[in-house]
Amino acid sequence: MDYRKTAQEIYDKVGKKENLISAAHCATRLRLVLADNAKCDTKAVEDIDGVKGVFSASGQLQIILGTGTVNKVYDEFIAISGLTAASKEEVKAAAAAKQNIFKRAIKCLGDIFVPIIPAIVASGFLMGIMEALTFMVNNEFLNIDTSGSIYVFANLFANTAYTFLPILIAYSAGKAFGGNPYLGAVIGMIMIHPHLQNAWTVATEGVLQTQRVWFGLYEVNLVGYQGSVIPVIIAVWVMCFIEKRLHKIVPAMFDLFVTPLVSVFVTGYLTLSIIGPIFSTIEHSIIGGIQTLIALPFGVGSLIMGGLYSTTVVAGIHHMYTVIDVGQLSSYGVTYWLPLASAANMAQGAACLAVAMKTKTQKTKSVALPSAFSCFMGITEPAIFGVNLRHFKPFVCGAIGGAAGAMYASLVSLGASGTGVTGLFGLLLCLHDPINYIIMAAISIGVAFALTWVFGYKDAAPAEGSKTVQPQPAVPAIQCQPGAVYAPVAGTVIPSEQIPDETFAAGVLGQGVGIQPENGIVVAPFDGEISSVTDTRHAVGISSPDGIELLIHVGVDTVAMDGDGFECFVQEGQQVKAGDRLIAFDRAKIAAANHPDVVVVLVTNSDDYENLTIQTGGCKVLDKVIQV
Amino acid sequence: MKQFQYTISDPIGVHARPAGLLAKAAKALDSTVTITKADGSKSAAATKLMAIMGMGIKTGETVTVTVEGGNEEANCAAMEQFFKENL
Repeated sequence: MDYRKTAQEIYDKVGKKENLISAAHCATRLRLVLADNAKCDTKAVEDIDGVKGVFSASGQLQIILGTGTVNKVYDEFIAISGLTAASKEEVKAAAAAKQNIFKRAIKCLGDIFVPIIPAIVASGFLMGIMEALTFMVNNEFLNIDTSGSIYVFANLFANTAYTFLPILIAYSAGKAFGGNPYLGAVIGMIMIHPHLQNAWTVATEGVLQTQRVWFGLYEVNLVGYQGSVIPVIIAVWVMCFIEKRLHKIVPAMFDLFVTPLVSVFVTGYLTLSIIGPIFSTIEHSIIGGIQTLIALPFGVGSLIMGGLYSTTVVAGIHHMYTVIDVGQLSSYGVTYWLPLASAANMAQGAACLAVAMKTKTQKTKSVALPSAFSCFMGITEPAIFGVNLRHFKPFVCGAIGGAAGAMYASLVSLGASGTGVTGLFGLLLCLHDPINYIIMAAISIGVAFALTWVFGYKDAAPAEGSKTVQPQPAVPAIQCQPGAVYAPVAGTVIPSEQIPDETFAAGVLGQGVGIQPENGIVVAPFDGEISSVTDTRHAVGISSPDGIELLIHVGVDTVAMDGDGFECFVQEGQQVKAGDRLIAFDRAKIAAANHPDVVVVLVTNSDDYENLTIQTGGCKVLDKVIQV
Repeated sequence: MKQFQYTISDPIGVHARPAGLLAKAAKALDSTVTITKADGSKSAAATKLMAIMGMGIKTGETVTVTVEGGNEEANCAAMEQFFKENL
């Protein structure tokens, strides 16, 4: 088959460049976002050699080409159209909404950090507990055996995720940037390779080893990037960029070994010689600037830094603050930096808690509540990335709370006698002045919570369940005729053979129709009894008094969503009237999960009937669609 | 009457698609095939798609498959084969 010809014909039929917004492909489908779907001649696209099917779903025109073919056609398509290659995610992003760069950058950081949060929470909690215990033991508040296996092992587990954080970040970033995450992980491993000097020891021992690079042009320090975030993300981004380009230019038979080898080697060299030194210098100069700021009189510097602190957490440079703490401890015996950080962290926790208390969405609550508590323990990432930044306003409210608390700490010269623990346990580092620490905590928490409660958070409209927001379609009472199935949802009716799923299309589950829905409410298609409801709420069975057994299945492969985005209003054995609501579904969530949202309506006992006629095309709710 | 027990390994359990395949496979046999949950709480004829889906059988659950009437020997073997391949 001629891939170029197929690609050219698709390009012509979808309305050429003027009508194309972006293109991507998955395992079997070419996914296009068009400016105007009406300008696309879908029928003609279906007739093109190699095209196995065409349908439009979740804002994309999806052209089924099959495994092994789709990537070739896609490459030609990109060459012909002159579009830049987009990842599937980018297409989804383009299909969703055009967000500004700042929001996208934040979303990207979130995409990188959110999946690794469980790892850093586990590690971070342990770290907070262990450091508090160690502090108490060292100061003889507590008498436990620190040489026991539990204590020794727990200490080991506690810092594992942080010690190897660049690997976790690199894997996640590789995924987020659309490259091979394992290659990304390799880049992360290179950056903290045991043969490189440990970044933590540089401060005390100085740089021990250097290496000339770029044919002797200049020297770099052979130092690992433990605790670095920015250099890792940049390095992986570069790697993904190289990798994706190589996939395009390297012939398929060499792709498997040439692309990984070249991607890792080139990126690795660039990282250790250019990216690492430059971006870790940037990280360091940010820290230098902070030290100047914090020294400003009347608490002004602390006010500013308390406000900005969480932003530096977002930038990932807070891991280096230990340096400031250590520096201050050696000059003054206490660190004035830690209380400031603690104020900022607790304020973010309070903002997150306010979101948790205010939201009515179970999902948000289940994320926000534990995140808030872990934040009070000093582990801020889940709250900041998982909750506050997503809604943004809570993040700002948290920053204001942090600023207020930090200013107070600075005015009363609150210093901490150690470092490493913020949040509620941070009190243990301020045992010489606990009252001021508590007041500082109360100020930060109070201000952040109150601001977030009043201004900072409102449940997003569509997330709050279709029950209240989505207007219920006007459903006229109808007189059901025997043997008739009425449309459970408004939309476009297609024969079951055209449902984008083999099992449904082949009629294994019975004959019927698919409906491309216009809204997210499924109603009863006739008077009858609910014969089954799936736990995942995406399908119901209903039987009519005259013996039709009907399956209504929302979407294809939506069983994988495990009920998320679906609400079911009926129970097994319940009697319903035509037009009664059965299921509400969130079309955006189905689209986000990458499933078609076609509502499948099948007569599962169609073998019992000689004749089954269907009515295709546009339908309103409760128009007759099947007659047996 | 012949019986066998099977533990579902399909990660999403017996949902529409496998239930449909099962109903089709069971219809082709001349025996009555019944599926019963391990705790005996629910039972359904394998040919009844809706009833099977309604059982809500999850991955890791063990079911008893009973084959009665007709060529029990061969049909039971066929059912066992089907479960292994599809569920």
